[in-house]
Amino acid sequence: MKIKYFAWIRELTKIEEENLDSNKIKNLEKLKTFLITKYPDLQKHFDKEILRFAVNQVYIVENIDIYKNDEIAVFPPVSGG
Amino acid sequence: MIKIQKEDFNVEEEIIKIKKLYSNIGAVTSFIGYVRDNNNNTNVQYIDLEVYEKMAYKQLENIIKEASLKWNLIDTLIIHRYGKLQVNDKIVLVASFSSHRKVSFEACNYIMDYLKKDAPFWKKEFYDKKNEWLINTN
Repeated sequence: MKIKYFAWIRELTKIEEENLDSNKIKNLEKLKTFLITKYPDLQKHFDKEILRFAVNQVYIVENIDIYKNDEIAVFPPVSGG
Repeated sequence: MIKIQKEDFNVEEEIIKIKKLYSNIGAVTSFIGYVRDNNNNTNVQYIDLEVYEKMAYKQLENIIKEASLKWNLIDTLIIHRYGKLQVNDKIVLVASFSSHRKVSFEACNYIMDYLKKDAPFWKKEFYDKKNEWLINTN
């Protein structure tokens, strides 16, 4: 699956996107755990619950299963307009 | 119509292009957002606007569909820029086209509210000596 990062999350991960093994990361909770392990600085932002997730360009708040062909985006609150 | 682009645009031309397509439009409400030179008493030099383009199109299409049904709009236009924008540059244009004024005012306001809250764009403001990612609060 493809994970995309935006704004200051992208600055923190230092990459725009990466491909992760969908056999090991089967749902969004598992993805969060993986991300905190790989990028410990994300922990405090997850704790404050300010980060937003989109699966295939749709906002997701609950813990859903994720699959090989999914595109998952992790980003901070928006500031367009 | 939705356009997500780096380039500037001409408001009048963009609105006329759509107006020309229909003779039953009696009202157009437009909102234009600009880059300000000051935020929280700090001089802004320029901004950098990032977008998750694929999602932005999807989200804005949804809101246009919703607004069109709710207010029976004839057409809707959203142009949102990204990239490096200077003070006084246009950031966004929302225009709602309808038969009567009340619905076009309401729909334009509704679309902007949604855009500020959910559309995946991020502004980074550059000041004299620092920079900062913004969060929309209203």
